[in-house]
Amino acid sequence: MSESRPFSLSLSDLTRIAVFAALVAALGLAGAISLFGNAVPITLQTLGVMLAGTILGAWRGAISMTVLLVLVAVGLPLLSGGRGGFGVFLGPSAGYLLGWVAGAAVIGLLAAPRRGARPRPWRVLVACLVGGIGVVYLIGVPVQSLVTGVPLGETALLSLVFVPGDIVKAVLATLITVAVAKAYPAAFGGRRAATTPSEPTTASKTTA
Amino acid sequence: MAGPLSLYVPGTSPLHRLPASVKLLGLLIGGLVITVPRPEPLLLGVAAAVLVALYLVAGLGLTELARQVWAVRWIIVVVLVGQLLFLPWHVAALTSIRMLLAILLAALVTLTTRASDILEAIERGLGPLRRLGVRTERIALVLGMAIRAVPIVIDLASEARDSQRARGVGGGPTAMVVPLLVGALRHADDVADALAARGMDDDEEPVMLEGSERLRGASRRPPRR
Amino acid sequence: MTPAATPSAIVVDAVSVERNGVRVLESVTTTIDAHRVAVIGANGSGKSTFARLLNGLIVPSSGSVRVAGLDPVRQARKVRELVAFLFTNPESQIIMPTVAEDVAFSLRASGLPREEVSRRVIGILRHYGLDDLADRPAHELSGGQKQLLALCSGLVREPGILVADEPTTLLDAANTRRVSDALIALPQRLIVVTHDLALAARCDTALLFDRGRLIAQGDPGELIARYERELC
Ligand SMILES: Nc1ncnc2c1ncn2[C@@H]1O[C@H](COP(=O)(O)OP(=O)(O)OP(=O)(O)O)[C@@H](O)[C@H]1O
Ligand SMILES: [Mg+2]
Repeated sequence: MSESRPFSLSLSDLTRIAVFAALVAALGLAGAISLFGNAVPITLQTLGVMLAGTILGAWRGAISMTVLLVLVAVGLPLLSGGRGGFGVFLGPSAGYLLGWVAGAAVIGLLAAPRRGARPRPWRVLVACLVGGIGVVYLIGVPVQSLVTGVPLGETALLSLVFVPGDIVKAVLATLITVAVAKAYPAAFGGRRAATTPSEPTTASKTTA
Repeated sequence: MAGPLSLYVPGTSPLHRLPASVKLLGLLIGGLVITVPRPEPLLLGVAAAVLVALYLVAGLGLTELARQVWAVRWIIVVVLVGQLLFLPWHVAALTSIRMLLAILLAALVTLTTRASDILEAIERGLGPLRRLGVRTERIALVLGMAIRAVPIVIDLASEARDSQRARGVGGGPTAMVVPLLVGALRHADDVADALAARGMDDDEEPVMLEGSERLRGASRRPPRR
Repeated sequence: MTPAATPSAIVVDAVSVERNGVRVLESVTTTIDAHRVAVIGANGSGKSTFARLLNGLIVPSSGSVRVAGLDPVRQARKVRELVAFLFTNPESQIIMPTVAEDVAFSLRASGLPREEVSRRVIGILRHYGLDDLADRPAHELSGGQKQLLALCSGLVREPGILVADEPTTLLDAANTRRVSDALIALPQRLIVVTHDLALAARCDTALLFDRGRLIAQGDPGELIARYERELC
């Protein structure tokens, strides 16, 4: 199963990993949008994290988010509001950022345990709720509590403010994932219908 | 890697000239010294003085320092409000200051080091992993491609938003994000073709069309299900 | 198949390609031995499919392709060293963030020392008038400059053949001219898929495709006339 071999990545896996890292960055630069008459201001960045999980799958989604965080750490302003630099990993949201990596992995695992499987809406929704909210907060809240010195329970209470927006994003991510599966079926085949084969050097080596 | 996509401030100060790896190590140690012990006024005061001196040595000056503080003002405010609900005020103040100092120290590295230098230092630091079979040059490749992809995806996003507007359809974020994603995936697959055309090996088992069973049979890896 | 081909010729023998169960190329047979070859035909006639066969990006369902005697599928690495590919959209061909980095990327596996790499990079950028832009981010270039950069990145590996799929389609008149001139002046063998009949007319020979079949091969002027008369 491909999900158990992280280091066997095709060229289109590599480029999708890079493009999704850029996508989450671009969704942050798009700025916060408001839903339901400004009642829930949200940035689209965590929506991108969920989509990385549902579309790229567990390993590639997690690698993609790691790529993004590395670029942020080395000083590119790729987080919403143009934030970047190593400092963000010493601030209160550090845990949520690390949660993106684990969250994308869990989402990929729950949404499509097999590579190439078509996404089923309910699975995807559950995956986004569990991975995109559950896992992200599970890592984010304790780290926030550690950084700010506010006790764990109270920090968790404070973070509840963002949960409604995140639930909306999980629903959006589900709708979008299903729509993308229709608009670009190759998204879930792992590669385009037309194949990109390469020289079977490994084959000749092992059979020689 | 200058331009809008970077936080680096060009300069020739001793801090600018220090190798990236040394600065990263310094950041690690400095960060630990500031954040691990309980926040004491004396420790934080010394740390703040050192930090101000470093900003001056780097030629960034107090205006840049002030700009950095200003940039994180909302984070500090939000954190402080949360703390004041649950903690005594002096503890709240000290933890907030501690966090601010750590962020400013990290910003100092970011401001004085080119992103490409840090990436190079990372690639070199990962070198030993090569012996474990990790293809570190691929890590550098993906990081480079991601940087390259940011402006492209931003263009795709504004294209998607404009065409949504031009057609006068509402539909909220879905109507914008779906075409954006399709465009991004198509772009990724085109880049994969370009990589192959430029001689980059695909280390994945090739999926063959009919008539190529021999290749598949000889493959080292089990066929994909 | 004409047996008189030189060793560096491209020989396509009874090649058919199916995609998703649809035949998009139907028993194409040809030998390409000219210096500059135009590939013309209507949208969907199979030109891009044909071009991609030549470096193994598409695998024939039946028949065989030989590029200078090499099989683009089974000897992909060698063929891709020999054949550079220029795509329509320069945006997806420029892989690295800055101009010089992107050209240098093509040489990363060459084993050349650093100084030699940067010497070659600057050399080819200068030849196409991009040396002033070497350290600029690629996204700040114009469309024409980007396509020239993609050309540099392909040529820096010193391929023997360049396959270009509609390289000027996204460019304005001035940049079309620049890129066309650069292509026509290449010492390498050139296979160029194009809807720009002016560019096609400057080639030595042409291939005309129609609905997945290669229906004619020969003098570009005659084929362009036939294309305009019968198929437009
Ligand atoms: N990925 C694909 N999957 C299935 N069919 C495809 C795919 N790409 C192209 N086709 C089909 O193959 C046929 C030939 O396409 P090709 O791209 O070779 O045409 P073309 O001559 O290059 O056209 P154009 O001038 O529009 O670029 C078309 O009918 C097209 O619908
Ligand atoms: Mg085409």
